Amino acid sequence: MSDTYEMTPLAHLYPGMVLADALMDEYGHVLLAAGVTLNEAAIASLARHGVGAAPILRKEPLAAPGEAEIQARIDHLFRHNDREDLGDWATGLLRRYVEDYRLKRGVAP
Amino acid sequence: MSDATHALSIEELIGGVDDLPSLPAVVMELLGSIEQEDIDTAVLAKKVASDPALMAKTLRLANSSAYGLQVKATTIQQAMTFLGYEAMRQLITAAALTGCFPAGRCPSFNDRAFWRHSIATAACARVLARRVRFNPDYAFTAGLLHGIGRLVLVTRFPERYQAVLSLRDKRDCELAEAERALMGLDHVDAGVALAEHWHFSDTMRQAIAFYRLPEAPGAGFLATIVHVAGAVVQALDLAGNPDELVPRVSAVAWTALGLSEEAWLQVFHDTELQVEEMAAILMA
Repeated sequence: MSDTYEMTPLAHLYPGMVLADALMDEYGHVLLAAGVTLNEAAIASLARHGVGAAPILRKEPLAAPGEAEIQARIDHLFRHNDREDLGDWATGLLRRYVEDYRLKRGVAP
Repeated sequence: MSDATHALSIEELIGGVDDLPSLPAVVMELLGSIEQEDIDTAVLAKKVASDPALMAKTLRLANSSAYGLQVKATTIQQAMTFLGYEAMRQLITAAALTGCFPAGRCPSFNDRAFWRHSIATAACARVLARRVRFNPDYAFTAGLLHGIGRLVLVTRFPERYQAVLSLRDKRDCELAEAERALMGLDHVDAGVALAEHWHFSDTMRQAIAFYRLPEAPGAGFLATIVHVAGAVVQALDLAGNPDELVPRVSAVAWTALGLSEEAWLQVFHDTELQVEEMAAILMA
């Protein structure tokens, strides 16, 4: 499943929904362009052309978890790793790199 | 026998391996022949093609973005030409293995998370292997198979495994510890027994046997790759396990890979990209 759209079956299409991508028939002809807002006529036309499902734009992109949430989850995953334990530096390094990756801190200089 | 609480012996375990699902004959051949060079690829392609489900899954894998084919392969023979025999052997094995254990025998065992972890470890091991110029196809298969012994334990002794999972929750320890405490052996022992029963190559058996102890003498580099790949997958939280626990990473194994932070972040990224697609194909 994508963050930005959802493949929605024909039965669940309603006027007002926005297409995330162009819809084509079996010959590759564009039926509806990306960004089109569906109305009753458009939905009926999709049904006639045998389209089973359409990529519908999500109203809001799935809320991305906040930094605190991400950090808390990483701390939970690494709950057996003690940051102060220098003997376990490899686990500690993996932990720091995953934090940099997840929190988009980039590579430390 | 399965509700007993005594420690299991390897004999008991192996004695029951015959109750385990059998692999398609073509995969048995592939696993046994990993170091063998003189294989007739046309014969192999024909054998795979005689199992439509296996063929479809293999082709979808070959056409997945991880393998970056410009032209879609439509036959096994064609995919073999594009990707080479080695890669195809690994893909066929992956496609066959992921469907062959029954799910749901032990209610608390999360089959989906198990397979997601295995598939992600396979993807990460492959990415790592390319970085360190190790055979990526071996790495992929070893990553996929490293925990297979767990399925042996779950399938053979579902009630006892239920207790193992409860103990793990109670102690918040690694699963292998709980297995050892209640069954007297762990999934590594079971994996090695299965590897012998299924005639895996020595290379694969070594990787299964030593992935938790990569610094042991004679463990081999494949064990190092799988050890770190498994930990990376747990650290990236890719299996979808609420209680995921990153194990202690062997400093020897970490050092042996010798990657910079920049390289690691790229490995994380590449692994994440491939997992969803591969999981969708293999777990279909």
